[in-house]
Amino acid sequence: MVNSNANAMGIIFPNSYDSLVPELVNERLMASIPFGGRYRLVDFILSSMVNSGIDNINVLVRNNYHSLMDHLGSGREWDLARKNGGLNIFPPYAEKNMKPYSGRVEAIYSILPTLEESKEKYVVLTDANMAVNFDFKALMNAHIESGADVTVAYAKEEIPAGLKRIEGTGNFYYTLKVDNGRVTKFYINSKAEGIQNLSMNIFILERTLLIDLINTGFVRGSVYFERDVLATKTDKLNIRGYEFDGYHARICDMKSYFEENMKLLNDENLDALFYGNPIYTKIRDDNPTRYIPGAKVKNVLVSDGCVIEGEVENSVLFRGVKIGKGAKVKNCVLMQDTVIKDGSQVEYVITDKDVTITENKELCGTDSFQVFVAKGQIV
Amino acid sequence: MAKEMIAMLLAGGQGSRLYALTQKLAKPAVPFGGKYRIIDFPLSNCVNSGIDTVGILTQYQPMVLNEYIGNGQPWDLDRLYGGVHVLPPYQQASGSDWYKGTANAIYQNIPFIERYNPEYVIILSGDQICKQDYSDFLRFHKEKNAEFSVAVMEVPWEEASRFGLMVADENDKITEFQEKPKNPKSNLASMGIYIFNWDILKKYLIEDEADPNSENDFGNNIIPNLLKDGRNMYAYHFDGYWKDVGTISSLWEANMEVMDPEHSGIDLFDENWKIYSRNSGMTGHKIGANAVVENSMITDGCRVYGNVKHSILFAGVKVEEGAEVEDAVVMGGTVIKSGAVVKHCIVAENVVIGKNAVVGAMPSGEEKGVATIGSGVVIGDNAKIGPKAMVNNNVEGGGEQW
Repeated sequence: MVNSNANAMGIIFPNSYDSLVPELVNERLMASIPFGGRYRLVDFILSSMVNSGIDNINVLVRNNYHSLMDHLGSGREWDLARKNGGLNIFPPYAEKNMKPYSGRVEAIYSILPTLEESKEKYVVLTDANMAVNFDFKALMNAHIESGADVTVAYAKEEIPAGLKRIEGTGNFYYTLKVDNGRVTKFYINSKAEGIQNLSMNIFILERTLLIDLINTGFVRGSVYFERDVLATKTDKLNIRGYEFDGYHARICDMKSYFEENMKLLNDENLDALFYGNPIYTKIRDDNPTRYIPGAKVKNVLVSDGCVIEGEVENSVLFRGVKIGKGAKVKNCVLMQDTVIKDGSQVEYVITDKDVTITENKELCGTDSFQVFVAKGQIV
Repeated sequence: MAKEMIAMLLAGGQGSRLYALTQKLAKPAVPFGGKYRIIDFPLSNCVNSGIDTVGILTQYQPMVLNEYIGNGQPWDLDRLYGGVHVLPPYQQASGSDWYKGTANAIYQNIPFIERYNPEYVIILSGDQICKQDYSDFLRFHKEKNAEFSVAVMEVPWEEASRFGLMVADENDKITEFQEKPKNPKSNLASMGIYIFNWDILKKYLIEDEADPNSENDFGNNIIPNLLKDGRNMYAYHFDGYWKDVGTISSLWEANMEVMDPEHSGIDLFDENWKIYSRNSGMTGHKIGANAVVENSMITDGCRVYGNVKHSILFAGVKVEEGAEVEDAVVMGGTVIKSGAVVKHCIVAENVVIGKNAVVGAMPSGEEKGVATIGSGVVIGDNAKIGPKAMVNNNVEGGGEQW
């Protein structure tokens, strides 16, 4: 391999679908939601891009982006601290009479100069609401081979319940009508039952075409790239579908957040998500996890820096979680630096970062409704 | 801009007493404590003490070590001015020399030190497990107006004759140095960590190099010469955790002590004195539904389906169902297959231990030892490895090695 660079640049929309998980994005955005024990959602897309040779990546943040900036830093941990390209974070350009963007058209319009100056032939657009080990090279190859103007990645799946409640949030999801590989219709917020071609909101197209589409779209007052641009041009543009059948965890509501974390306790899922290309994340330099006499663990996914003295079963523990003596944790997702003190019992609980459950408390959710404890709370 | 103090880290040791573990890598690169390598300790101590310039003297099997250090970023030692530099012996116009001794290694790198024009140089050893604040050591050195200081540990009198000993007066001024004496006059053992005023060090290095009879060694030559000249030499008492992990049993013991920070004094969980390392980047570890994990340390990438008791598993270790691991140090990437019994031993990186194989044994009576399996070795199914074995080559299925 002389040169692994793909001739594509990446654009990530980290705020997409924020409103589906209001509890989790209170002090952050979708892309920086902790997931899978030691990651943030954005790690998956970023690592996938890097592993596919995309190393000019632009993140268009809208709001609540401090946690993301903190997480990404210079991009070094994804090998994106580069002189050419690398990671660029674009905060909203605040001007009089100008609000932060609502849709992709406005967002991309705000970085048109960057887009024009870039040298890559293709642009990959994506959200960050999914944990997925995505092969962008395969997408790019399919795009080039088919001669499409635009290629959209989709997965064949039922529309998650969380997405169906999207109405009124200013968000959209799209299902595709695909005829012989060509996308002939975008259905917006469809309520259809059964397996659909659900768009992953991952697009590839030539940079010059994107610039054209954005320029004309912006002038016409278009806001949303799919709804206002692509969906209206299915006859004029050769838009092709690219079916992705790999593992992906889509976060649509608290329930899916819980379930997608818990699914990783199944080795097949864990391997499907992490096998092959590594997923990079911010390094914390935690020590290895310590199991102190008295600890009992069964079916758990645990990250470094934990100290476990109690009992843990069917749970995902993020970095730096402490489980006290006699504490019992069952069916929980405990985010980084959560402390469950001696003698407390928690079941079906999701704790956000830095939560402390003090001694001898009992906190119980159910299979279908988990108790959520917000960031930094002391119970 | 001069640096006040820079560090020179002696990392050329072959570590021949670690046998199977140091066939392919230098001793400072030997993995330790679940996710570290030995050299992480002096390097992290440097950074935590405010030292941002470190020269690492390598010689023996430097490949793994070089790759591991890289640009020094994991220790925050990627600096514009200073940072970490690996300094192997090199060819010069006058010919090339391997480092003849510890002093010669520093001598050959005088130009490196001069670039930073330091007032002090601290000489560190790359084969010790120790958390130490070198800035406190420097404070002592300055307070005493010393030209040379050495960090010393009190050791039990009956063991004193195994060490280089410093005899010091009530002001900690060194009056005599005894190298592994039969009749110790002191129980202050040198830890092999020295602070020198740079001008003094340079002078003695040059003089030492000119002496054809010298072994070019700090302990045997430089320190005796300083004493002979009546230099201001002081002993700095260190009473924290310190362990020379030069032997299999001491390395095993130190690993076991990591699991018991409350009693052993080696606390890797100290937020105020982090030990940094290059991370595996693996995902979290998985403990299966039928696994039993007791009193152990486990890190990223491990998959545990068997029984693990009082053991350290490094990144990516897999313990299959029905396997038993006890009092073991299992390094990264090793796979322990179902039914295997792995006890009281050190298993190096990327080893495969076959089904129902037996490696090592818990000590009983006279029969004690730490079985050691070298990196990349494959132990066949049903093989037996005795508690004193050193295994460097693959052992066939059903085979035995004692």
